[in-house]
Amino acid sequence: MITLTHYLLVSAALFSIGLYVILSKQNAIQILIGIELMLNAAILNLVAFGKFDKINNGGQSFALFAIVLAAATTAVALAIVLNVYRRYKTIDPGKINQLKD
Amino acid sequence: MTSITPHIDSVVVTCTLLAAGLPLGASAVNFLLPGKTGRASGWLSVLAILGSLILAGIVFSKVWNAGEWSVQQAWFTIGSTTVYAGLLFNNLSALMLLLVSAIALPVHIYSTAYIKAAEQNRYFTYLSFFCFSMLALVVVNNLVMLYAFWELVGFSSYLLIGFWFTRDGAVKANKKAFIMNRIGDIGLLSAIIILFVQYHTFDLTLLFGQNGLVFNSFMRNGLWMAPAHQLPAVWQCIAFGGVFLAVAAKSAQFPLHTWLPDAMEGPTSVSALIHAATMVAAGVFLLGRVYPLFNTTELDILAIIGCFTAFLAATIALTQNDLKRILAYSTISQLGYMIMAMGIDAYASSLFHLVTHAFFKCLLFLCAGVIIHEVQHIKDEHQLDIDPQNILYMGGLRKKMPITFMATVVGCLALVGIPLTSGYLSKDGILIQAFEWAESRAWYYEILPVGILLTSALTAFYVARLIFKVFFGEFKLKEIFPDIHLHISDGSWAYRLPLILLALCSLFPLFSWNPLLYEHAWLFKGFLPVDYLVRENVYHAIVPALINIISVFVVYWAYAVYLQQRKLVFSQKSFLFKLSYHHWYIDTFYQQVVVKAVVAFSQALFWFDRQVIDGLIHQLTRAGKLLAGMSAWADRYIIDGFLLLITQVVKGIGSFFRSFQGGKVQYYLYSMLILMLTLFIIKLLV
Amino acid sequence: MSLVTVMFYLMAVIAVGSAVYVAASKNLVRSVFMFFATLFALAGLYVLSLADFVAVTQVVVYVGGILVLILFAFMLSGRESLAVLAQQTNRLIAVNKLPAMLVAMAFFGLLAYVFLHARINDAPWLQEAAANQNVFTPQDVTINHLGVNLMTTYLLPFEVISILLLMALAGAAHLSRKEAEA
Repeated sequence: MITLTHYLLVSAALFSIGLYVILSKQNAIQILIGIELMLNAAILNLVAFGKFDKINNGGQSFALFAIVLAAATTAVALAIVLNVYRRYKTIDPGKINQLKD
Repeated sequence: MTSITPHIDSVVVTCTLLAAGLPLGASAVNFLLPGKTGRASGWLSVLAILGSLILAGIVFSKVWNAGEWSVQQAWFTIGSTTVYAGLLFNNLSALMLLLVSAIALPVHIYSTAYIKAAEQNRYFTYLSFFCFSMLALVVVNNLVMLYAFWELVGFSSYLLIGFWFTRDGAVKANKKAFIMNRIGDIGLLSAIIILFVQYHTFDLTLLFGQNGLVFNSFMRNGLWMAPAHQLPAVWQCIAFGGVFLAVAAKSAQFPLHTWLPDAMEGPTSVSALIHAATMVAAGVFLLGRVYPLFNTTELDILAIIGCFTAFLAATIALTQNDLKRILAYSTISQLGYMIMAMGIDAYASSLFHLVTHAFFKCLLFLCAGVIIHEVQHIKDEHQLDIDPQNILYMGGLRKKMPITFMATVVGCLALVGIPLTSGYLSKDGILIQAFEWAESRAWYYEILPVGILLTSALTAFYVARLIFKVFFGEFKLKEIFPDIHLHISDGSWAYRLPLILLALCSLFPLFSWNPLLYEHAWLFKGFLPVDYLVRENVYHAIVPALINIISVFVVYWAYAVYLQQRKLVFSQKSFLFKLSYHHWYIDTFYQQVVVKAVVAFSQALFWFDRQVIDGLIHQLTRAGKLLAGMSAWADRYIIDGFLLLITQVVKGIGSFFRSFQGGKVQYYLYSMLILMLTLFIIKLLV
Repeated sequence: MSLVTVMFYLMAVIAVGSAVYVAASKNLVRSVFMFFATLFALAGLYVLSLADFVAVTQVVVYVGGILVLILFAFMLSGRESLAVLAQQTNRLIAVNKLPAMLVAMAFFGLLAYVFLHARINDAPWLQEAAANQNVFTPQDVTINHLGVNLMTTYLLPFEVISILLLMALAGAAHLSRKEAEA
């Protein structure tokens, strides 16, 4: 029997992997992928819990919203990455530190 | 002395103060206006000394034979002792005041021509300062001020001997004079201290006046009794020794006489004023001041020393070739006469001779100055390598400089003691009294008058030698250097006037209407007690005659030796000649024994200082350095290390935390996540 | 073991495994393509969770939109960046990755601990939903109901998200213009 806990554990694993990618990569695009991984982990939770809300469809609806939002953020993020690349000739967030103290 | 009631005369006091003050003023003006004042400074000093002379004349006219009195004012007080600054007026003060200014005036006039214009400012600063010191010395009324001016006189003498300080000889000479005089000063100071301990006063009148403290003290049971105090008798001897040292140093008596010939390195005018007439007479003056202090034995010692010095110096003068040195030794010899006269109780004769000698010796020096000046002129003009003071280069100057010749002859006759001169009066006085003195004593005391008579003959000889070598014969320089031009003359009126003035003063009329009898000299009488009886005895007739016969014979002998080129009586290789030529080896002796010993001692001390004391200090330094090194090490590696460690730790922490603020997004994320984790873990655990 | 269980585990392994590959891959292009696999596996998991419409949306929007966008951006950013990216050492276990690894593991441990101890299956509202027949069953057709709900209950969020999407797209377009035109 597959319970909620299984889904949650899978989502936790995906979330942690996304976290690792965000922390360790020196490439803005890969970091973006890490963010997407984390978002997907969250959506997975929404969907898993949405199974128990047949009438209002809250989980599934907000899963949809989250997917759309992810698309929007990705678009904007990629635009920013392009601009950063143009300006700094790099997309390593560690090297883009002109605003530091 | 006369016993006129002492009274205070304010005019006299003012005149005296002014007489002493004028040269000081001139000196101060010259000192404060250095540079190009040139001859103006000379005339300023001449005017000052002329003023002093006039004032001294006024003082003399009022004080001479007018009793003894003094004025004083409290100077400073130490404990219960008040030291006064005051003036003492008696015959001695007045006479010396007049004498010093009277000698100084011609010397000043002479100096205006003799010293180069560029050097006159400095020269007259010193010379006027000397006049001030000397004039003040003779009129002060207590021992403290006497000592002060005694020192000042020595100091200005030092300055003037070393006037041409670029000459090595002058520097050495003034050092020598100064050191010799220091020995005497120590003696005088000790004597003053002993007198003060004994009598509790510095006042000359109280100490040495009639019925003064010294008159009322006596020796008993090995104690030196004063009215209020007593000391062991040895202190009186020490006081005498101190005074004697002072006199010997200042008046160039054996054994401290060697500085005077060297002091001839100074300008000749200085030699005339200071080292012939005035300053060297200060020793005799001091003897005159403290005369009552001495007892018979001590007076005998003085007489013997004086006689010996006179003889010694006269023998040395026989062979010297340096014109000024001959005169210097002659001065020592004549000072020996004065000291001896003091010793044989011929107080008045001593001072009389002091005065006459001042005039004729000053005259002789000034003549020597003129001659040296002319020879120096020839030397400079032809650039000859000669000593301008050497009499062997001179000769035949009689016709070229007649006034100088005449003046020299007058001075020399006075020195020898030929009748009609002042020297005859004073010197015969001393000789006659010496014979009288010896007569009343044991037979061996006869050595003294005989010695002095012999000295007199020697004097005649060296004087004759001087005259013949310089003024007669041919001019030797012309013989050695045939192609030189000679235009020797007596020089300007500034040379002639002082010579003529002093030559007149060296003749008898100034002192006595009777050219043959010294007892009739007014000056001589001024120093005698009123009840003095003229003792007519055989010496009064024999001694002058004897002297004159001997002198004339000796002069003729010298004439024969030097002018007619007869065979020399004594070989230049004989022991006696060498002894005389090398000043009896006294300088050599001092150099070998005293100076070398002192130098060796200094070197030993230097070695001790360098090796032991410095060594100790070096060891201390080394220890200190070691300690410092250890401290430095500890400081660098322990204290600084600790601080550095702290800074490193702080820096590490700082850079660690700084890295979180380094603008790296991922580090921000790290810190956020770690914080969250921590919070959750804490939440779970609690 | 039912087919559903097998499918779940299969999908879960694919999802997690491909995600690990994404994280560990040296090659950016490969990791991007492996991300497809993750997204597809997740879509499968959605299906298993009875959310077929969401699964379809996932595939369409993510795979068709976001991934294509990423690839475009990646390729537009020039050859130099590609070369740089290809060269970078990207091993899974490296010293400079260690802190990230530790933090990620810690997070996973924490989450797992929480989930395992939360006994989420016994939550009251789940019991209540089960009692009220408020649970999807595999026989239900969900899409009608979802469409009605979107247009009624969630109309305001729907509209807001529409405007947001519009703004985001306009902003992205503006940002990615050529510098010279700015």
